[in-house]
Amino acid sequence: MSYSLATLWYERHRYMPGVLAVGFSALLIALQCGLLLGLFSITSIPVDHTRAHLWVGAPQTLSVDLGRPMPESYLLRVASQPGVEKAEIYIQGFAYWGKPNGGSELCMVIGSRLESDSLGAVKELTPELRARLTEPGAIIVDESDIGRLGIKGIGDVAEIIGQRVRVVGLVKGLRSLAGPYVLASINTARPLLRLSQEQTTYVLARCRHKSDAPGVVAKLRDFTSMTAFTQDEFSLRTRMHWLTKTKAGIALGCAAALGLLVGAIVTSQTLYAATAASIREYAVLQALGIPRWRMALTVLAQSFWVGILGIAVAVPVVLLLTQGAEMVNAPLQLPSWLLALAVGVTMTMAMVSGLAALRSLRLVEPATLLR
Amino acid sequence: MLRERPTLRAIALSRTFGSGEVATTALHEVSLDLYGGEFALLMGPSGSGKSTLLAAISGLLRPDHGQVLALGKDLWRISDGERQAFRLKFCGFIFQGYNLFPALTARQQLEMVLRWGEGAPYREARQRTDEMLSLLGLSKKAHLRPVQLSGGEKQRVAIGRALIKEPTFCFADEPTSALDWAHGEQVIELLRNAARERGTTVLVVSHDARIVPLVDRVLHLEDGVLAEPEPARSSELWSVR
Repeated sequence: MSYSLATLWYERHRYMPGVLAVGFSALLIALQCGLLLGLFSITSIPVDHTRAHLWVGAPQTLSVDLGRPMPESYLLRVASQPGVEKAEIYIQGFAYWGKPNGGSELCMVIGSRLESDSLGAVKELTPELRARLTEPGAIIVDESDIGRLGIKGIGDVAEIIGQRVRVVGLVKGLRSLAGPYVLASINTARPLLRLSQEQTTYVLARCRHKSDAPGVVAKLRDFTSMTAFTQDEFSLRTRMHWLTKTKAGIALGCAAALGLLVGAIVTSQTLYAATAASIREYAVLQALGIPRWRMALTVLAQSFWVGILGIAVAVPVVLLLTQGAEMVNAPLQLPSWLLALAVGVTMTMAMVSGLAALRSLRLVEPATLLR
Repeated sequence: MLRERPTLRAIALSRTFGSGEVATTALHEVSLDLYGGEFALLMGPSGSGKSTLLAAISGLLRPDHGQVLALGKDLWRISDGERQAFRLKFCGFIFQGYNLFPALTARQQLEMVLRWGEGAPYREARQRTDEMLSLLGLSKKAHLRPVQLSGGEKQRVAIGRALIKEPTFCFADEPTSALDWAHGEQVIELLRNAARERGTTVLVVSHDARIVPLVDRVLHLEDGVLAEPEPARSSELWSVR
């Protein structure tokens, strides 16, 4: 066992605040980023829960919910691209939902084709639900939005911009941020969004291989009257738009920075105090001619182990909380890359704290041992 | 026993602390020769400048005036890095108090000096450490931490730390002050053996008069002046061993 690790273990009570501070920082970063990721992944559900490899919309479309009408004839342009296997139209837009008992609510109407190989129908729509949606005026909403929409369940009737709609089914897990999703057929959705028969919001396409999508997108970008994205690009673009539009990124950055700062100060002070407590021992070593950098390396090794132990404390807690969040259906996402990022940032913080604690070695003066 | 050429010479060392009316002269033109294998004792009342002299001749505290010639090197005319390298290669120190790392075992305290100082490989450091601990009578205590050792044992570990690299010089400041005489005598015996058997130049600073019969030479310092100043010899210094 290295000397620094031996010291850390023997004087664990002294180092405990540093370990806990690092753990707290890691926990804070992972959970905040995970929550934000989960929250904004809701915004790209229409992109992520469908089968299209590429999305084509009006020029400068910022996110999936901000699509604008464009000619349906663009469908041919997309379908004729080499590599494209199938293309279809997809309409989406905000509308006002008139509650049966009065009042209104902003909702997001999604109109897609309903065949079994449809590209735009979200995966939550079972074949049975799709069949029900073929009826004129039929819509499906998420069961968690029932209260928000002022309805009781299947069979209820409401109005969207004066058009009568009837709830024919409910889905689960289609959470929304700006307004509840209202799923419908193309024919039902068009009038709800005041689109003409010649208009669509997006053209979706599927390639023979998903890897062909970037090439097709590159070709479609030659057309200035429309804009094209791969599924992954559009998903990310949507989330990033929401992240920046709501300034949540700044809030996250400030909170994470604060957590890091507190962690860094506590860790640095812990290491400083621990080193200062051994200042006479270090002074003996320096009198014996052992170079100062060797002692500095020990302080840095201690900061490394404090970082590792802090993360070892934090990771199980993070995983436990993630499971807990799943149980209560909280939008927390913790992909492995995010966990790795939190670990990386926290370790960097611990090492920087170690560097800051090196100032304690300036107190080492062997001549003082002879007074 | 004494060699003809000194391994360490202090020539007209002076050191003053403070300035103006509060200036205190700790050393006043002190000259001194020490020889290989010599076990010398530096005595004097508190505040007489003993520790300052020890610090100046061992390369820890720069004197205001004078020279320290150790194995041919003028210690205060070389760079800090060179002085550190000199101490690393040739000097061992024992200070008041034990100054042992609380978390490390007796073995680790000694190993650390070899591994960090000389970059000795683990096996070699372990072997040399165990030999030294055996010499100190601490083989069975190698795995114990300072809190588990008696005062005498801790001081022996501190001596082991000073002698493990087989230094040419060993400087000890009040090495018996915290010990009863039985343990103090053991400590002095260890230092005397280092001088006799390894040819180490040992200089001990102490108030303890019981040590006097056990050393080769006694130097008295009072008010920064050696009571019987040694003449600085002009002969060549000992070469590095």
